[in-house]
Amino acid sequence: MKKVPEEYISRELFDTVQVYIITKPELQNKLITVTAMGKKLIGCPVCIEHKKYSRNALLFNLGLVCDARTKTCALEPIVKKLSGYLTTLELESGFISNEESKQKLLPIMSTLLEELNATGACTLPIDESNTINLKLIEQRRDPLIVQEYDVPVFTQCKDHFIKSQWDLTTQQILAYIDGFRHIQKISAEADVELNLVRIAVQNLLYYGVVTLVSIFQYSNVYCTTPTVQSLIDDRSIQEECLNYVTKKGQKRACLRDVFQLYCGLTPGTTVRDLCSRYSQQLQRVDERRLIQYGLMKALIRRLQKYPVKVTRDERSRPPRLYTGCHSYDEICCKTGMSYKELDERLENDPNIIVCWK
Amino acid sequence: MATKQWETTLGERKSMYKQSENSFFKRGEKTSPISVILVTSGSRGNKLLFRYPFQRVADCTSSLTTKQRSPYALNTTGDVLEDPDGDSREQTPLTDQQLVAGFSDIILATILATKSDMCGKKFELKIDNVRFVGHPTLLQHPHTIQVSKTDPSPKREMPTMILFSVVFALRANADPSVISCMHNLSRRIAIALQHEERRCQYLTREAKLMLAVQDEVTNMTETDGSPQSPFRQILPKCKLARDLKEAYDSLCTTGVVRLHINNWLEVSFCLPHKIHRVGGNHVPPEALERSLKAIRPYHALLLLDSEKALLAQLPLDCSPALVRLIKTCSAVKNLQQLAQDADLNLLQIFQIAAHLVYWGKAIIVYPLCENNVYMLSPHANISLYSPLAEAFGQQFPGHDLPSMLAKFSLPLSLSEFRNPLDASVQEAQLIQMVVWMLQRRLLIQLHTYVCLLVPPSEEEPGLLRDEELPLVARVGGRSLSTPSALSFGSPTSSDDMTLTSPSMDNSSAELLPGGDSPLNRRMTETLLASLTEHERQVILNIPAAQSPEDLRMFARLLHYFRGHHHLEEIMYNENMRRSQLKTLFDKFRSVLVVTNHEDPVISLFQSPLE
Repeated sequence: MKKVPEEYISRELFDTVQVYIITKPELQNKLITVTAMGKKLIGCPVCIEHKKYSRNALLFNLGLVCDARTKTCALEPIVKKLSGYLTTLELESGFISNEESKQKLLPIMSTLLEELNATGACTLPIDESNTINLKLIEQRRDPLIVQEYDVPVFTQCKDHFIKSQWDLTTQQILAYIDGFRHIQKISAEADVELNLVRIAVQNLLYYGVVTLVSIFQYSNVYCTTPTVQSLIDDRSIQEECLNYVTKKGQKRACLRDVFQLYCGLTPGTTVRDLCSRYSQQLQRVDERRLIQYGLMKALIRRLQKYPVKVTRDERSRPPRLYTGCHSYDEICCKTGMSYKELDERLENDPNIIVCWK
Repeated sequence: MATKQWETTLGERKSMYKQSENSFFKRGEKTSPISVILVTSGSRGNKLLFRYPFQRVADCTSSLTTKQRSPYALNTTGDVLEDPDGDSREQTPLTDQQLVAGFSDIILATILATKSDMCGKKFELKIDNVRFVGHPTLLQHPHTIQVSKTDPSPKREMPTMILFSVVFALRANADPSVISCMHNLSRRIAIALQHEERRCQYLTREAKLMLAVQDEVTNMTETDGSPQSPFRQILPKCKLARDLKEAYDSLCTTGVVRLHINNWLEVSFCLPHKIHRVGGNHVPPEALERSLKAIRPYHALLLLDSEKALLAQLPLDCSPALVRLIKTCSAVKNLQQLAQDADLNLLQIFQIAAHLVYWGKAIIVYPLCENNVYMLSPHANISLYSPLAEAFGQQFPGHDLPSMLAKFSLPLSLSEFRNPLDASVQEAQLIQMVVWMLQRRLLIQLHTYVCLLVPPSEEEPGLLRDEELPLVARVGGRSLSTPSALSFGSPTSSDDMTLTSPSMDNSSAELLPGGDSPLNRRMTETLLASLTEHERQVILNIPAAQSPEDLRMFARLLHYFRGHHHLEEIMYNENMRRSQLKTLFDKFRSVLVVTNHEDPVISLFQSPLE
């Protein structure tokens, strides 16, 4: 057995975890992580059967050892990849079983350890024709499902991204992501199929390049969340916000005006109402960007309307969309009606009540 | 048995989309175990005594007959060529059953029954997409076994058990706090089993039964060839097997486990992740704990079950303080009053309240009173067909939930709600409805928060100067922690605040009664000293500031105007009436910004149950 550095694993530790390193056939080619005695070992045991080996099989396992408290998810693909590479090398040129080439393992392991710890990436030259490249990739959480009425907005300046690095679909829709167009609209204007747009945006969401907000209309209603106080507490959010919401070409808006505007958003108040009540504060503030920023940072939240059909005739069909599960945004998107049309239709129906949340 | 085709993720974005759609529905299962397994190690080697859920019979036999590896294991040659990146993340989501079913009894016994030096500590092993967690426990000192091995006497000892482990299998991507909780449960069961083993060899007896059934079934399979699961046969015969099954079932459903090991020792446990959820995601225990620490004496405890039901759930030897608290608590009574009525000190009340909240038996609210303003919670399920709607209809015949909830679309105070436009509904019933909705986290309460923001001066308008730095950066925050706040006057849950006489007023350093005495003026000056020159000027120029009384009150309350203390808290701490405060805010409105939102401290408790 070869160890780099020599002393890191004690004899006792190895004895204890031996069964997880050189394993029974049922566990081969599985990624095994075992925690014992304050250390975590990640490995992938491999078995190659061939008559040429003594005992007709070669068993090996290249593993990584860390402190027990380390989060090791990112290391797993590396261990798996290495085991794959070594298997190929062995099958092609007997890399591990050959006495001579076996000596190269120790320096390779040293390089691996050093470079991964230093930069998170490493290049391992094996011989003239083979090099292994490895990189630690950050694990991210699964993204939400993107609905057709969601609006993607860039979290950083769009120009920071090298467009050619993205896939064709994303490149095609990039120009249409402006923080105001919703998915359905992007699909129509960019002439890309709806599901592809959803997937592409979900991909961008996964990498934190965009975040989702709701459709903007002057009839929308918002209210503040407890997070709105962060505008007062956090200097960096203040700076970012004031820069973001100030009208182009104007002197920077002052904190008091912006905070008053956010606090002016209450249930029952539309954006139109806000504009007429706080016209003085809005002289230097773009209300659309104000709302956009507020939603992105969760300083405010949107109050959506949900129609519910509470009474109906025995003979009529049960409600499909007016169940309290579908918001106006969703219904309008799905049926093609405008808000105004939907409002008029529902206002005249005594069986339907509307909940805001 | 078909071998799985592995799809590469590169370029296959559609499968990723599907995967996240599947995982959306499977999110709840991240907090459930996949399997529970009991293994032992002893003089007869490593044995798997019991596992639940049972394997499908087909998997059972195949592992015995052919030299077959699990159908879900990677093929050495095949996949290395196809998938050079060796990305271990699952491409096609396997069901939970398939994840663990692939492991035979024998291999599980080998990997889960550890060496004795891993005993007494958390055991964690991850194999591809399954994570095993347990707490291997030593029953006997290994040396005793060694002695009997070297002893050549023909008298054979009874096969002895050295160690055992109750292991839970989880999905590999389970949250670390879930893994920690499962380990905790494994440890608790182990402690109980160890105790019973020492007292009356309970575990050895159960193990003997289990192994006997396993042997019997193996024999039967060999003779008449009909495959059966031995574990199914074990269930009716072994109480321990039934206990483990019950633990598994409870963890997957309610998250509350109550076992009676050997009908004697009670093991109780709850998985907070199942009990406390916000919009589909569990509340991390750390967030829960932080919120519990921030409860104030003016909060109230709202029980989620009826008093009778709750008392029936308590064990016989529970603390009498708990019983007293449950009997005395009410939604209109704050914790301080509860302490007085139940004859317990406040610290005890806090501890018991936290305990009840942790177990999902109660939530923290602001005590019900006329001026409370409620609004529909963003997480509320307002669907026509939800089980909540049905339950509401049964509890309050003639009324439907969505119509009631629609009333709270705009913030509504309790007094406005009680104003019966519909005279047929009794007031008492309306209050019951609100309590019902609060218990099911359908409503959130809004509070008023105030922030001091002075209009900027004329020079260099629009630039962020130091004056606009938040007050908190300049003034050291004065935190009002819980028990010490007790000395601040006596609050009432209703709005009927009686002012204590000034000599008893000890909320801030006010020594003399009203009037424009030099001492009072000094006091005001000191309090205002924390402001910048510009701020002070603006405030002093306000017409209301000409009244020394008003200015003094303003200065005294200055440290609350950072947007972190709501109206009711100021009322409680400073022994003031709502009307007084509102008037003050109005007088100084040119430098104050007011907003309404939920209290972040208790909004955690206003999350809905699944």
